[in-house]
Amino acid sequence: MKRPHRADALLTGALGLLITLGISFLIAVILIFLLSKQPLTTIYYFFVGPFTNRYYFGNMLNTAIPLVFTGLGIAVAFKSSVFNLGGEGQVYSGALVATVILLALPQSSGYLGGPAALAAALATGAVLAGMSGFFKMKWGTDELISSFLISSAVIFIVNYFITGPLDDPSNSMLATRAVDKQYHFLGIFPPSKLDISAIFAMLAGVLVFFLMYYTHWGYEMRMCGLNREFSRYGGINVSTYVVLPMIISGALHGLAGGIAIMGTYHMAVKEFSYGMGWNGIAVALIAKNNPLGVLPAAVFFAYLDAGAKAAMLHSDVTFEIAAIVQSVIFYLITAQAIYSFLRRRKRSRP
Amino acid sequence: MNEQSFTFPLLHNAIGIMTPFLLAATGGLFTELAGMLNIALEGLMLIGAFFSVVFAGLTGSLVLGILLGVVSAVLAAALFAGVSLNLKANVFISGLATNLLASGLTIVLAFQLFGNKGVVRFEIPKLPSLMIPALARIPILGDLLIGHNILVYFSWLLVVLAALAIYRTPFGLRIRGTGLNAATIASLGLKPRRYQMAGILISGFTCGLAGAVLTLKLSAFVPNITSGRGWIALVAIYLGNKTPWGIVIASFIFGFAESLSNFAQGAINIPADFILAFPYLITVLAMIVYSIWRHYRARA
Amino acid sequence: MSSGLYLQMRGITKTYPENDVLANDEVDFEVRENEIHAVVGENGAGKTTLMKILYGLEQPDSGRILLKGEEVRIHSPLDANRLGIGMVHQHFRLIPEFTIAENVVLGIEPRRRGIFFDRERAVCGVEEVIRRYGFSIDPRLPVSRLTVGQMQLVEIIKILYREAELLILDEPTSVLTEQQIHKLFGTLENLRSIGKTVVIITHKLGEVKAISQRVTVMRKGEVVAVRDTAEVDERELSRLMVGKSVTFQFEREAVNKGRVVLELRDVVLRQKGQDRPLLDHVNLKVHAGEIVGVAGVSGNGLAELEDVVGGLRRVSQGRLLHDGRNITDLSAVQLRERGLAYVPADRLQRGSSLQSSVMENMIISSHHDFLQGGFFRRRAVEEFAETLSSSFSIDGDPRVPIGTLSGGNIQKVILARELASQSDFIIFSEPTWGLDIASAEFIYAKILEIRRRGIAVLLISSNLDEILALSDTLVVLYRGKVVASLSNERKLSKELVGEYMMGLRDDSRGAAAPSDNGPTETGPSESGPSPGEAS
Repeated sequence: MKRPHRADALLTGALGLLITLGISFLIAVILIFLLSKQPLTTIYYFFVGPFTNRYYFGNMLNTAIPLVFTGLGIAVAFKSSVFNLGGEGQVYSGALVATVILLALPQSSGYLGGPAALAAALATGAVLAGMSGFFKMKWGTDELISSFLISSAVIFIVNYFITGPLDDPSNSMLATRAVDKQYHFLGIFPPSKLDISAIFAMLAGVLVFFLMYYTHWGYEMRMCGLNREFSRYGGINVSTYVVLPMIISGALHGLAGGIAIMGTYHMAVKEFSYGMGWNGIAVALIAKNNPLGVLPAAVFFAYLDAGAKAAMLHSDVTFEIAAIVQSVIFYLITAQAIYSFLRRRKRSRP
Repeated sequence: MNEQSFTFPLLHNAIGIMTPFLLAATGGLFTELAGMLNIALEGLMLIGAFFSVVFAGLTGSLVLGILLGVVSAVLAAALFAGVSLNLKANVFISGLATNLLASGLTIVLAFQLFGNKGVVRFEIPKLPSLMIPALARIPILGDLLIGHNILVYFSWLLVVLAALAIYRTPFGLRIRGTGLNAATIASLGLKPRRYQMAGILISGFTCGLAGAVLTLKLSAFVPNITSGRGWIALVAIYLGNKTPWGIVIASFIFGFAESLSNFAQGAINIPADFILAFPYLITVLAMIVYSIWRHYRARA
Repeated sequence: MSSGLYLQMRGITKTYPENDVLANDEVDFEVRENEIHAVVGENGAGKTTLMKILYGLEQPDSGRILLKGEEVRIHSPLDANRLGIGMVHQHFRLIPEFTIAENVVLGIEPRRRGIFFDRERAVCGVEEVIRRYGFSIDPRLPVSRLTVGQMQLVEIIKILYREAELLILDEPTSVLTEQQIHKLFGTLENLRSIGKTVVIITHKLGEVKAISQRVTVMRKGEVVAVRDTAEVDERELSRLMVGKSVTFQFEREAVNKGRVVLELRDVVLRQKGQDRPLLDHVNLKVHAGEIVGVAGVSGNGLAELEDVVGGLRRVSQGRLLHDGRNITDLSAVQLRERGLAYVPADRLQRGSSLQSSVMENMIISSHHDFLQGGFFRRRAVEEFAETLSSSFSIDGDPRVPIGTLSGGNIQKVILARELASQSDFIIFSEPTWGLDIASAEFIYAKILEIRRRGIAVLLISSNLDEILALSDTLVVLYRGKVVASLSNERKLSKELVGEYMMGLRDDSRGAAAPSDNGPTETGPSESGPSPGEAS
């Protein structure tokens, strides 16, 4: 019977993931016991805190939203076996471009401004990542490094604009003017900051899933990612699928930036988006690059952040223990040895 | 401020500023030669920065501080290596994990030990500066080369030692062989994994020193004091074409850029941020040009 | 008599668990001191496995190894080296960026003051070895600048530097030109006269006659004969290697040839770093309704022919024509659009994507047909997959990853997919390699069926029985050249085809009689004097 094979693989994967998360939680508990003078309270707020009131819960979901987009961006790239390391710069520049457009548009533009800004943010990210894809396709330039380099340079340039020509002296931060109220996304869960972009995030997850599994671009991307030689043999133009996934990945990252502005921040603050790119990688890994899995994975990641924040506010630990827990997840999530160990144990059982 | 008195401090500072890049990149070079991508330089540097100044504060001795700071960085590197090589994790992801761990751990410990998530000052002796007469006598460059702290001079020594190790020892031959063709190394009865591990641990050593330079100069720990220097070091390795002398030049370019951006206000019309972005852009350009050259050469 | 015997391998048995293949079956192998001993056999005969065991790269399931009468255990190449056994692999283990001296001493580098690499002593030491054995090459040269023949010399120097007494060479002449082969043989004879013992694995019978004193013939994991070279001729060796014909239980109707569907005109394929062309002025025609079988020992151009016709490699010279139209520079994408169907030799890497489902594998070339407004009609794909599976007797759910299927079923999926495209021409490469009899017969039946339908079939295979049973026209490739193009109406004999495959016969050069005891059948050297060979 062939069915058990497939279920088997899923089970090993799920079990591996559970072990990873289990160890991470264990480490969190140990850390709390070591660092806190009231460990039980801290543990309570770390694990349960985000669910205790609407404010925490809503904000947690809100933090997840950009991670959904960047996670999707990385998932698309990984599934096609290309590496987009420029996520940070793509998000940040997408955010700036969106802000600039919204600030430049007069009040009366009504419903045109929002989509225009998001489209521009998307295009910015797409171009930045697409460049790396193009260089890889044409001349074999390593896209991992080139996308990182371009992104790093772009971050400095965006910093310049935010702290220089676009800086708003009337607010006390290094930030631009706030965009007009009509371009703020509607809040859907007061008093938290959760807004309708949550729906966009879910839509994005479903759309990307559809793209990858129900369209011919998705099919060709996945085949190229799994076995480039087979794809070439079968008549797929493999060089296209070095550039296209990068463009899509960059677009999603840029969009994340634009949505973050219109939904939560409403102004481009210096380095406000730091981490959205890197955490997108973690989210994609936890979700095993499955677009639908990115949604719960992003929420999980945001949950870790929210728990640490709650623990910090109500107890005596610092927020950064979340980073330590996250790093353990990172370490273990790609540890192949765990999975091969599990597979071997399964085989030896009668 | 006239031109003359402007260039000297600019260059002198650049030499000091380039030291962490140089140290981290030199260690990272060993990892790169062994064929592994090492993006943990940032995290390892941060660990070195934190623990060297903390231990220096605890023991009152700079030497002990540096030593223990380096040991901490090597331990972190061992964790990174163990997960990547023995647990067979993706070296890129585990590198990210190391950076994340370093950033979280240092702030958590700072908060735990000093109750403060901001700048933590320590009562420790300042890093001694040296005025080496022999260096001062070198024509033209002489004045630029004196008056730096001891770790700067130590970094120069380290680069020379690294070059010797890479090109003049069997270890260097084997580690380069591992990166070029691990299968051949294995067929000779050697173990490629050992050389990869060595490459990572060496980078831990030098990054620990690099971090120490940052904090001991200030006698303080600032959260996220490394702020991207580890990434710059990685870029310097590529820009320097993976050779020790290339890394020296590349590190100087980045050091110069940072020094220039510090002086930029009022003196030059280019915004500081653009100056800082510049080295990244030329590296990308160099990479692309190199790929084009290699592409057309293979076609011939 | 164990006196005079340098090496004895007794009762060596080895099965590879991954595919249950009995590679060595109670093999007894003896090499006398000071002799050059050839080991011959077709692909899969077990000769490489035997040598790997001798060199410590594999461990036998049972059996003993004795060196000069004493039993030894060889667990790794390091053990082998210590016992004075050195091996030159078919695919070189060199680092091109390093110099010759560095490659030779790597792992046992001479040191100065314990930590420094004494480059001078290394160069001297290597120079000493070079001089002692009468070579002529500068150890300071980087390996990247050497010819293939010189690289092989470096491999030999490597093992001589480690004081090997027994040298094993695995298919050493497969990448060499005639002149380089001459040089190599001179070297080997020299080494023998100094007291070394040499084992050479080869399938080139002319070379066996030229260089060895004794020859061991292996077939299907067993030793079938051991002879003194002087007392056996190439025809007999060839017969021993290929064995008796195996007849398949089916009848082939008379061929009904139509138009020329596929043609190769004067195709040459060269590769950087290789001294002789991989395909050497190949001319080939495949008619509709005809099966053209291309036979040869692997390494003689079969794989390259497959790559070129399949569109995965560009020819250096010459043309490919489909229905008279030039398709020479078309990419694989474009060839597929023209209706190329292709069952590759490499089932697992090229022919399928192991982690994808059977369904997704089946539609790789035809997935455009299942789209509606950009979206996949999942049901249509599933129905298609199920129809194909049933008509090709493939069990199981088409949604499972293809990697979970047996080899035979994977091949059936590939076959089903390729045959489903309405093409007028199809290439098969090693279609039944590694498959059980039932699957193989199923595939043969299908091949004959499409022949009946008037499709042009190009069948590339190193399985002689298969080629003889199926082909209407039989072509033999030897060292990249077509040395025979014969009609198979009255079944050709295996012995005759074997002779072409071993290079004993060559129709391209007019009447070439197989040599009995004389020098190698090189004749006038095709490649001419190689300009500027440094050594």
